[in-house]
Amino acid sequence: MITVQGLTRRFGARAAIEDLHFSLERGEVVGFLGPNGAGKSTTMRILAGYLPATSGSALVAGFDVLRQSLEVRRRIGYLPESVPLYAEHRVEEMMWFQARLHGMRRSEARTRIPAVLERAGIVDRSRAIIGGLSRGQRQRVGIAVALLPNPEVLILDEPTSGLDPLQRLEMRSLLAELGRDHTVLLSSHILPEIEAVCPRVIVLNRGKIAADGTKETLLGQLGGESRVRLEALVGPDVALALRLLKSIRGVGEIRDLGKQGIHHVFELPCREDLREDVGALAASRGWALRELTWQRPSLEQLFAKIALDMPHELPAAQPLASALAQAPTGSTAGEKLLVQLSPQPNAAPSVPAPPRTLYSLNPFDGGASRDLSKPKVVDPAPQPPREPGA
Amino acid sequence: MSGVFTIYRRELAGLFLSPLAWVLLCVALAFNGFFFSLFVSLFQGDVGEAFAFFLGGSQTFWLMIVLLPPLLTMRMFSEESRTGVLEFLLTAPVTDAAVVLGKLAAATSVMGLLWSSVLIYGLSAQALGTAPDWPPIVSGVIGATLVSAIFCAVGLAVSACTNTPLLAAFLAVLANAALLALPLVEQLVPTPPGHWFKLALGHANIVTQFHASFSSGVLDSRQFVFFGVWTGFFVFLATRILEARRWW
Repeated sequence: MITVQGLTRRFGARAAIEDLHFSLERGEVVGFLGPNGAGKSTTMRILAGYLPATSGSALVAGFDVLRQSLEVRRRIGYLPESVPLYAEHRVEEMMWFQARLHGMRRSEARTRIPAVLERAGIVDRSRAIIGGLSRGQRQRVGIAVALLPNPEVLILDEPTSGLDPLQRLEMRSLLAELGRDHTVLLSSHILPEIEAVCPRVIVLNRGKIAADGTKETLLGQLGGESRVRLEALVGPDVALALRLLKSIRGVGEIRDLGKQGIHHVFELPCREDLREDVGALAASRGWALRELTWQRPSLEQLFAKIALDMPHELPAAQPLASALAQAPTGSTAGEKLLVQLSPQPNAAPSVPAPPRTLYSLNPFDGGASRDLSKPKVVDPAPQPPREPGA
Repeated sequence: MSGVFTIYRRELAGLFLSPLAWVLLCVALAFNGFFFSLFVSLFQGDVGEAFAFFLGGSQTFWLMIVLLPPLLTMRMFSEESRTGVLEFLLTAPVTDAAVVLGKLAAATSVMGLLWSSVLIYGLSAQALGTAPDWPPIVSGVIGATLVSAIFCAVGLAVSACTNTPLLAAFLAVLANAALLALPLVEQLVPTPPGHWFKLALGHANIVTQFHASFSSGVLDSRQFVFFGVWTGFFVFLATRILEARRWW
């Protein structure tokens, strides 16, 4: 539905965006994430036909945004960040204006306007003067205006900015609902919005795509490390406790945070949730637990990592699987900031995992006579094949 | 061009929903009324002479032509650019030319409404027993509206250049004055009689063209073409400026 290839836009000598490649399939909801000045709005303005690109191409619904701009504009609903509305008009007058601009028949507009206002949750203010509406209500009117022509593609630039927490929650559910009927490209620098609404995220930084994929894949590929936090009464032999914890498969270098009151605090870096294993060990050793939690990295941490440390932290990368076909041709590997999010099509089969050491509290697991304080070694369960693109 | 009428309706509504158009109309009508009564007394009750002087013959007419259109058009692009509404318009499925033409039609309509107030004076004179010569009055109103269209187009072109309405108005007044003063260039650059430059400037004289037709009650197609071409030129200029803005 949207195909962007080598999109670059310069303002004088400064490149607002540089060599962007991405595509959106029909019905996809994609979040554009990035710090202020990353190039989100510029990209959206180009897609909406407001700004021309310096180089590269962008197709929306199969039409070139520069050469077939009117065709593109007929097929998109665009809500700029400033929510541009005529303040002196009533809400329904603004809707009628939009209907006329899109050449809608009167009968069609008459039925569609109340329906769209209802959907945007602003139908009770249809006779209100726009200038007198609150920011949240204006935002809703803006979305209603964008939705009125029933566009194939919705481009929403910061639709939740300036809203209070309650309005933000309402907007979030509205956006999730819109994602069922439209292809949505949504920008925000408010991470929970993106996390809640968009299955796929494109992270922009300094005008380039820093990452593109689902949240899980982004976190996985960017080395997001989860950890189990354990606060327990392990007794005087802390070294033994450390050794036992270390014996759990999948645990990395354990951080001993020392005593907090009578409890000892450990942080166990791991890629998956090992609470059951740790809990079983604790139970088998008779450790009194105060806390056992699994802490996963958030999109926020990922975002901070990309925005602040990108040149050092991120691995030099290959183009995304989704953008393989449109991979830029003149840039060197070192310049590429994309992160490999999908398994390589021809990747070598993974090495079989070694047996796992498990602490199991199930007395019937391995025989009732098994010493529950000793670990039980089992073969790993066969791994289900990973979904392509996951 | 289907969007022209849609934009026209919106702009006209926008003008009358803001106090600007009402204030301008009010002041201009008071101004018109005062000067018309002054001219009638100056010409010792000769209503026909007063109308001729009022519609094109006096400096006040050209002063209003220079001042009023910029005040009407100053906000049309600059204010919309400042508030971001221009982004909405320029991403709507209408061409830039349609946007300019719709706004021009709205501003010209207000100017036409203003000039047609002269008809009330004519009807008043008729009601009082002195029937005026209607053809010069009607053609004068049409001509004044056509001239206003040129200056509205100049105002739009200037408004598209800046985000500050007052600056747009000021620059447009200067541009309008320069346009009216174009024939004076001939005096600055002495040329022999019959020189093409002299002829071109003579043909481009808006005041002369106005008096050649509309002041005398004649609706000549040549003058329609003349004013149409000038307006078209500035509409083209405004459209290109709008397009160029996308690159700024």
